[in-house]
Amino acid sequence: MSDYAMPGKSKRLLWFVWACWKSNLLGAMEFRLSFLLMAGTMLINDVVWIIFWGLYFRRFPVVNGWELQDVMMLWAVSAGGVGLMSTLFGNSSRIAGLVVSGQLDVYLSQPKPVLLHVLISRMSISAIGDVAFSLLVYGFYGDRSLIGLAKFGLALALATLIFIFFTVVVNCLAFWLGGTDGLSAQLFNALVTFTTYPTGIFRGAGKLLLFTVVPAGFISYLPIGLLRDADPLFMLGVVGVVGVLTVGGIWLFYTGLKRYTSGNMMGLRR
Amino acid sequence: MAQVSIRVEELGKTFRVKRKREGFKAGLKGLLKPEYEEKAAVEEVSFTVRQGEKLAFLGPNGAGKSTTIKMLTGILHPSSGHAEVLGLNPWKERTKLSHRIGSVFGQKSQLWYHLPPSDTFELMSRIYELRRSDYRRRRDELIERFGIGPYLNTAVRKLSLGERMRCEIAVSLLHRPQVIFLDEPTIGLDVVVKQHIRELVNELNREEGTTLFLTSHDAGDVERLCDRAIVINGGRKMFDDRVEVMKLRYLTHKTVRMVLGEGPRPLRLQLAGVQEQQRDGVKLTLSIDTTVTSIETVLSRIMADQRLIDVTVEDPPMEEIITQMYSSSASSR
Repeated sequence: MSDYAMPGKSKRLLWFVWACWKSNLLGAMEFRLSFLLMAGTMLINDVVWIIFWGLYFRRFPVVNGWELQDVMMLWAVSAGGVGLMSTLFGNSSRIAGLVVSGQLDVYLSQPKPVLLHVLISRMSISAIGDVAFSLLVYGFYGDRSLIGLAKFGLALALATLIFIFFTVVVNCLAFWLGGTDGLSAQLFNALVTFTTYPTGIFRGAGKLLLFTVVPAGFISYLPIGLLRDADPLFMLGVVGVVGVLTVGGIWLFYTGLKRYTSGNMMGLRR
Repeated sequence: MAQVSIRVEELGKTFRVKRKREGFKAGLKGLLKPEYEEKAAVEEVSFTVRQGEKLAFLGPNGAGKSTTIKMLTGILHPSSGHAEVLGLNPWKERTKLSHRIGSVFGQKSQLWYHLPPSDTFELMSRIYELRRSDYRRRRDELIERFGIGPYLNTAVRKLSLGERMRCEIAVSLLHRPQVIFLDEPTIGLDVVVKQHIRELVNELNREEGTTLFLTSHDAGDVERLCDRAIVINGGRKMFDDRVEVMKLRYLTHKTVRMVLGEGPRPLRLQLAGVQEQQRDGVKLTLSIDTTVTSIETVLSRIMADQRLIDVTVEDPPMEEIITQMYSSSASSR
């Protein structure tokens, strides 16, 4: 007997999300050593960048108003956002591939919101290293007061949402243009790359680009506009961008789904 | 009169396909000025399926079988026509419908590859929002019925294809669907596993009254599982009737095996529609086109010349009937 159509829908949806995450993690842990190595190497990879910035700030303590701590927070927010996206919503960057190879059938044949189901059905193990790195950097350099932690939590949530829905939007191009996996991956990589540089070093057209087409500026300015001094105007902009990307991403996905043509490729859930 | 489970009216699906000419130059031209053509995968197909019916939906590769199933399960939106499954529009009421139907795609697994089937059962119970006590009862019942207990805790990637398919079907039945769509469920399985799966599906239909909608290239599936067959080819419906009627209509010849009284002596039958298939000493197998020459004529001609010890008249295997149907439907297009 199903509880479908009974009260408590949100609670059952949360149980489903939790069950998916749990399955992803269990699947990842089937190969213990590989799991630890992948998460560990990503952590080391991120630490290398931090060492680089540390050396840089030894010679130039302030870059256009940005100090070492701001850059550390930039990395904590950026790596944390992209890490949370890839850990908990790991299929975000694979949507184009799934559309083109006709592998949405399983999600469409089951009674759950298709986009949510697709997003949470995969976990990138290496991204767990990004999340661990983000927390470590914040632990060392961040404001550990209650307010500081709350602000960091908000910054992470906003960054994660921007990452997820920007990625969904660029991946949805596949519904109309076909094999856009490469293009979608390039745009996603551009977003990630630009979120790891201080917005202060960009001027003119570059800055305009970062606050429009590739909205990396809304993530990379969070250490200044939210963590250091809460700037209401900037925060309004961030919330607006998150709203537009979320609504736009969901709309694009479901509109595109009507054009989905399936396929005959063999498919297994992993 | 049983209720209607599936009603399909002039359902059609057209895909826009890029026309690709041969060669590098044509490839470059296609890059600048691509050419597209409309390809009809399903054309104005209409039929109904009654509750509890076991329908074989047949056709050669590319006939439109899977496309039809995908439209009936809400995966694809049709280009034209209308369909209702259990009174619901599949592509407009997909979520509601998916609580009441089950699907098994032989080539697309619902099981998590790196996890044991028991974990997929748990996940499915959350997807279908099953009450915990009902879920546990149904899970245990399916485990017992499908005999999957011994490998329930083994990662799916380590299971044989037969074991995986049994788990696949069991998982799709967890929410007690009223209609189940099976798209080539026995593909790649050995004869013993195939037979076991057929028995299980039959049992399910008998005990729970589940409507069965099956596509398969395996004649055995049609013969042992289904009571009605629809054949489509090139997106159009070519045949819709009971399996026995299908046999009668397309069964143009019989296989006659006989044991002759004398040793190897040449037969001089020279009858139209009669072919010697095999001769092994006194054993002889003939294929007789009964629309041209009757079996009686053939037997009396042989008996006039030789002694006959034993005779068996058989229908050709279902495989041949289906081949005959496909080729005749292709030539009539």
